[in-house]
Amino acid sequence: MMEILSIIGYIFLSVGAVFLLLGGLGIFRMPDYYTRVQAGTKASTLGAMSTIIGVAFLQPDWAVKLLVILVFIAFTNPLSSHVLARATYKMGQKPLSKENIDAYEEVDHSTSRKPVTNKTTK
Amino acid sequence: MKKYVAVVLLLFFGYYLLLSFLQLDFGRADERMAVSKDYLHESVATNKVANVITSIVVNFRGFDTLGEVTVLFLASTALASILYRRNKPGVKVPKERILTSASHLLHIGAKVLFPISIVLGAYIFIHGHLTPGGGFQGGAVIATGVLLMILSYRKFHVNHNIVSWVESIAGIAFVAIGFTGLIFGTSFLENVFPVGTLNALMSGGAIPLIYIAVGFKVGAELIGLLDNILLNNKELKQ
Repeated sequence: MMEILSIIGYIFLSVGAVFLLLGGLGIFRMPDYYTRVQAGTKASTLGAMSTIIGVAFLQPDWAVKLLVILVFIAFTNPLSSHVLARATYKMGQKPLSKENIDAYEEVDHSTSRKPVTNKTTK
Repeated sequence: MKKYVAVVLLLFFGYYLLLSFLQLDFGRADERMAVSKDYLHESVATNKVANVITSIVVNFRGFDTLGEVTVLFLASTALASILYRRNKPGVKVPKERILTSASHLLHIGAKVLFPISIVLGAYIFIHGHLTPGGGFQGGAVIATGVLLMILSYRKFHVNHNIVSWVESIAGIAFVAIGFTGLIFGTSFLENVFPVGTLNALMSGGAIPLIYIAVGFKVGAELIGLLDNILLNNKELKQ
């Protein structure tokens, strides 16, 4: 029984490690700010969660504490990236796209912002 | 040329650092480690504190911690005095801080996370003698929660009177606990309270009490600092 639990735990741990690695790669390889935020958030949220679930399978005594951490990550990680992306948009950074599609602009009339050229920041 | 000089200098200093480093015998307990062995033994045997670091920081080197708290207090006082701007009779002080209002998501999230961060900070400094962390970390977590509220609500204000009262009372409590050691024992900050059993919440004598005082003090100081910085920057902009 313990062996099966630990095998499941290791599978979760390796899935988490793979997603964290992909998230890190995405932050380096994506072309503009918003796609980088997306890579950093989605991949690292899934990666961290699945790592924690893996630890919960390996150490069943810690399950309750790990569940609390899980809920905390589920709350804060998307929220913080939403705030970052929104603040960047309000500062005037346009999303990078060939057809200049900016769907949020049609919704959001609250700010008058000066557009910034489509340069990827280094 | 500069690069070569830098490399030569680095090698030179690295060589001598390595020489002195190699003379240390790691992992061998001899008479030079008497103090650390004493700390390790005494903190569990006499103080009944599971977290040895807390026992060293708050008890054996408690005077040092009092100095650190004082440094933090001085820093926040200096910053407040630099940022202090007298209200001129004609100038209206703006009540709102941030130009664009935060999004609905952040409003809700901050409301949910604020009590959690307060509870987490309190947990960290109350359990400072059992688990890693302590007064400084717990206070910082509490101040982070307040920072979240300041950033997400434009009209969230901290009552400066309450903050400074909490800070003063916590500082006085720290010194008073130190003086009880002087009165009932032999030295300042001596642990004269009943120590209880190892690994229990009510253990360690004066150590958790001091860490609770430190937690309140650090939290109040950081909150006051944040409020000063964020409010006065807005005033300067106007």
